Amino acid sequence: MPDVAVNGIRLFYQQAGDGPDVVLVHAVTSNQAVWAFSGLVDALAADYRVTTYDLRGHGASDRPAAGYTSADMAEDFRQLHAALDLGPAVLVGHSFGGVTALHAAALATEVVAGVILSDSFFPGLRDEEPNFGKMALWSDLRETFGRVGADLGGTVDFGRLFRAAADLPPEKMKELEAIYGAFGKGWLRQLAPLAETTCGEDVMAVAGLTAGVIASVRQPVVALYDEYSPFLATCRWLKANLANCTAEVIPAARHLAMLDNTAGFTEAVRRHLGRLCTGREACATKP
Amino acid sequence: MRPPEHVLADLDAVVRRTFPDRDFPDAVSADTRVFADLGLASIDLVVLAERLEQHYGRRLPFGAFLKGLRDRRADDIAIGELVEFLRSNLS
Repeated sequence: MPDVAVNGIRLFYQQAGDGPDVVLVHAVTSNQAVWAFSGLVDALAADYRVTTYDLRGHGASDRPAAGYTSADMAEDFRQLHAALDLGPAVLVGHSFGGVTALHAAALATEVVAGVILSDSFFPGLRDEEPNFGKMALWSDLRETFGRVGADLGGTVDFGRLFRAAADLPPEKMKELEAIYGAFGKGWLRQLAPLAETTCGEDVMAVAGLTAGVIASVRQPVVALYDEYSPFLATCRWLKANLANCTAEVIPAARHLAMLDNTAGFTEAVRRHLGRLCTGREACATKP
Repeated sequence: MRPPEHVLADLDAVVRRTFPDRDFPDAVSADTRVFADLGLASIDLVVLAERLEQHYGRRLPFGAFLKGLRDRRADDIAIGELVEFLRSNLS
């Protein structure tokens, strides 16, 4: 199994294709399988060397007790980038994966050639985002967990989600698994182990990625935000405050654009990567 | 094309070798479901795909296979489908 030792842990990764480097970074509670199932890896591998990996605590990577802030994850990425000997890479980050990507762009300017964000909420922009915590996805989750007697609270709280999953009696977890179906069972199963870590709290920490640091990013940034995203104020802020930011709305998506509107999301990512790389604005193939 | 029973036996062996700590049913058939019966998760399929590529010594178009499942809104994968995918790409 290809894995790489970085920052004191082991990360599981996959690579496909050849060309300038593109790295896909998944969201909290997700894993790199989302990129395979959405077809994005195949769609990009014809023109790029595509690297996907599981963030710490997720998928088949190690699950240390602590170190889940975007600063920690950005350092994991920087070391993964070095260990795999990648060229300057464009990072495509979904949700918290985008926070990690932008943090890496700020901290490791030489290895991040550009960032494509997909519907990311930034803890450092909490004051700019009136809809923080009001995600429709969270309301759905709250309603579903409520059916088995677990209260997730009114606003997004990953720590509470992980603890609720860990505290569910086995028969209630079985009920929940029946609701989420065969695909969702795997997603449910990874929640409880994260209760043994600081992940839930860490991912909501600013961790140095303040509004000022975000605004200081000089690499090209593409802000892909979903039509029904709660974070459109964040999208507008990024467009207004970053030196080089292109914003675009992905129609018919509500935070999971790569699954909600696979064709639209894939086309947008390909088009922006082409723009960044053809004009050599960002990409370069490792000599 | 390789006989389906040979590929099924390969698949059975690779699954058990890849996830040695899991509690799988004693017998795996074409009707066995990957998620519901074997208890695998989506990330397990990524790991398994790579192990199968190692086993057969070649890249296999798992990306297209997985996306195809999503496109037709399949809620599970029968082992038989995986066997057919492997047979058609190993010939």
